[in-house]
Amino acid sequence: MANMVAIVAVEQLGPEECANDNVRDLTFRVNKNLLNQVGLKREDVGTIVSSSSDFWQGISCSNSVYYDALGAYLKNSSKTEEDGAFAFIYGAMRIMSGHYDTCIVHAITKGSEIPCLSTLTNLYADPFFQRPIGLDDVSTAALQAMLYMNKYNITEEQAAKVVVKNLGNALDNLYAHKKGRFSVEDVLKSRIMAYPIKELDCATYSDGTCALLLTSEEKAKKMTKNPVWLRGMGWCVDHQFFGDRDLLDGALRKAARMAYATAGIKNPSNEINVAEICEPYSFQELLYYEQLGFCGEGEGGKFIDKGNTTMKGKLPVNPSGGVLAHNPYVARGLLRIAEAALQLMGKAEKHQVDGVKTALAHSTHGLAGQHHSVVILGK
Amino acid sequence: MAKEEARIMEGKVSLPYRWALGPVFSRFFDEFKNKKIMGTKCPKCRRVLVPARKFCPRCFEDNLEWVQVSDKGKIRTWSMITFEFSGQPKPPPYICALVDLDGADTALSHFIDGIDMTDLEKVRDQVHIGMRVEAKWSDNRQGNIMDIAYFKPM
Amino acid sequence: MARRAAIIGVGQTKHGRREDVNYVELIYEAVKAAIADAGISPDDIEAVAQGSMPSPMEGVNANHLYWADAMTAFGKPLLRTATCGSVGMSIAHLATYHITSGMFDMVLAVGAQKMFEGDPQGTMATVADPWFQRWFIAGAPGVFSMQAHQYMYRYNLPEERVREAAARISVNHHNNAMDNPYAHLRFKVTMEDVMKSRIIAYPTRLMDVCPSSDGACAVIFASEEKAKKMGRKVAWVKGMDYAGDEHFFGDSDKVVWEAAIVAAKKAYQQAGITNPRKELDVAEVYNPFTYQELIFYECFGFCDFGKACKLVEDGVVLRGGELPCDPSGGVLCTNPIGATGLLRVAEAALQVTGRAGDRQIAGAKTALAHAMGGACQFNGIMIVGSEL
Repeated sequence: MANMVAIVAVEQLGPEECANDNVRDLTFRVNKNLLNQVGLKREDVGTIVSSSSDFWQGISCSNSVYYDALGAYLKNSSKTEEDGAFAFIYGAMRIMSGHYDTCIVHAITKGSEIPCLSTLTNLYADPFFQRPIGLDDVSTAALQAMLYMNKYNITEEQAAKVVVKNLGNALDNLYAHKKGRFSVEDVLKSRIMAYPIKELDCATYSDGTCALLLTSEEKAKKMTKNPVWLRGMGWCVDHQFFGDRDLLDGALRKAARMAYATAGIKNPSNEINVAEICEPYSFQELLYYEQLGFCGEGEGGKFIDKGNTTMKGKLPVNPSGGVLAHNPYVARGLLRIAEAALQLMGKAEKHQVDGVKTALAHSTHGLAGQHHSVVILGK
Repeated sequence: MAKEEARIMEGKVSLPYRWALGPVFSRFFDEFKNKKIMGTKCPKCRRVLVPARKFCPRCFEDNLEWVQVSDKGKIRTWSMITFEFSGQPKPPPYICALVDLDGADTALSHFIDGIDMTDLEKVRDQVHIGMRVEAKWSDNRQGNIMDIAYFKPM
Repeated sequence: MARRAAIIGVGQTKHGRREDVNYVELIYEAVKAAIADAGISPDDIEAVAQGSMPSPMEGVNANHLYWADAMTAFGKPLLRTATCGSVGMSIAHLATYHITSGMFDMVLAVGAQKMFEGDPQGTMATVADPWFQRWFIAGAPGVFSMQAHQYMYRYNLPEERVREAAARISVNHHNNAMDNPYAHLRFKVTMEDVMKSRIIAYPTRLMDVCPSSDGACAVIFASEEKAKKMGRKVAWVKGMDYAGDEHFFGDSDKVVWEAAIVAAKKAYQQAGITNPRKELDVAEVYNPFTYQELIFYECFGFCDFGKACKLVEDGVVLRGGELPCDPSGGVLCTNPIGATGLLRVAEAALQVTGRAGDRQIAGAKTALAHAMGGACQFNGIMIVGSEL
């Protein structure tokens, strides 16, 4: 992929700023901040790709309502739905095609405005077989977690360590919604939602938005001394019927393989310096360590036991606090890329990891991660 | 600086639906009404897909053979639901699960019941992965997935 | 664009009221047809680009996940786009970028809708923002009728004349659909039928308006290398662009409609077209409403502003004319919205590769495909040609 696409700037708005405003005006603000950061005008931007979700917004054709707020008036702007990482992937392809040399990618969700995550994700399920069983984000995560615990003796305590780590990391992230010093005990004692998933094992609903400026190599070199390069990306989807899927080895492994191949990564746990993973349920972070190749099959629990993924560990995971700390559903995938980019730029402030040269950003959506994407960034 | 209270506008979107089943699901549910669970077998990969489908999602073949599978099987995974959400099929607590029916290569999602659900520890004594279960057919079958009321321990 | 992309195969369902299949099966029908048309195997597809109208249309959220298996997408990269009525074109653009980015050599584009399963107007009403417009917009007929009135007043055109031109378009397109075995509405209408049909939202009448349809479309895009191996004519993507207006319907002029003008202009530039009326052989214009089509003719440079009625009266854009529009019958006869824009691309591809059957425009080499979306907000264009 050699230097074809660069990330030159990142902007985000945290939950407090988002609470009091609507999606249009928030979109304007984050994009304007981005333009101001790099000293560009709306006219200077070639194209814009945005990501949002109609159901989450209660406004159909969700990008229609904020199109002009993106600065997209009379421009070629498109929308990818359901996962902010898609906005990045599509935006990158637009740059790689040579058709554009600048592209803003953006994602927004106001989690505080939605009816209920479970209601909306229950609507992912087909109406005939799976919806009547109430399959939704939480119950399917629970079904997956049960299988995971049963097969590999992963414990609730190990999953709880993810919560402790991520919510603790979030104390150093100005933009995170939920943060605090929790103990494993706190997690284990929290209300059981769908066994073994407890309230603290779940992500909350958050408001958030971010925007990134992507450019071609030539443009990047003119704009910054510190570009972040796209090294590889992969994405992949699993079967629709829940019962058709291998819940412990699904689309993520393939998505990662695709990204690693382009990025030339053969030994992820050695070659990746920091990872921002989408972990809406604590257990999933452990499972995703395995599918990303950070550790062997069934070893996700042991991997966190050894402290590998803490801020001082061999491979810090979710220094930002991840999705457990901040879950603007559609924007979360793009936020992982934004955070990974900030790490490489040395701009992650209090949650900066030292010596980052290669970062991984992961996103997922759909029941128990039906869809996954992996983006590798480097210096 | 006094924090301004966010002004919220409330609204509801309510839309009616009528979903076409297609002949394959229609036949599946006709047989279901007669207490038969049907799968379709892919000529290429030889997997039996339940519920019966028009095509195999891996081979993309559509010349599938109808085969009956058992209404008995084992639990692939399960969870007891104890939280609420709008549009939920029934008030919690209830158990949802994936059941690998004998003869099928894919699992069916459904409820587990016929057990004491008064507390989680009791449930964990009665339900586990790999456990044999059988369908409890409803007396009043309509030709939908709830013609099986739940799967119960054998 | 340095790397080139071509359409090597297309597939579509018989459009209409398809209660004989469920949504997933509808998709499968179109995808299977496209694969057969291209003469490839499902495994040859490397990535999938999908889209549709908002999920509330059929009540399944994130329907790219629902359709995944029917699109051969298991274990493959899948991306969803959603831009209202223009989505079909957005899907085509998305698939093209997959190729021109250099990442993939064979990509499947799928768009569909199953409008009889939900409440289309009820769903479309939710496109309008809840704070200002949702109570007033009255769905698609409201918006496009307001636009039609604007047009008449702008050029001081007698209403009768515009009404007649619109009716001529309706007669022409309904006739065209008789040659399209996939079209939803297949019946002839007379000028009198159209002009006397029931008023929906003044001045729009029933026969001026598209149906709601169930239908799916699948198009296979390939890289130059793969396309050249086909051993038959392919439809090269010569130019494509897109532009959008502000969200508020009252913000921009929808008669001299910049979003349509700009999108077309940029696409023409890429395709090296300076005189569209002469250099295009056929155009599949997005036309859910006859009146709106008049506006598109002008914005796409087929004639001067205010002169679209004459274009129709002279038969230029009718079957047998210099630049026949919508030989497929267009949106007016078939409108499964998520597929509709992609169908324009598919039909354009069939035309330039000489595979459009009874609806073939003889000798067509270069075609324009177009889609519009939102409350007169988005316009997307793709120019395809059989020669590089």
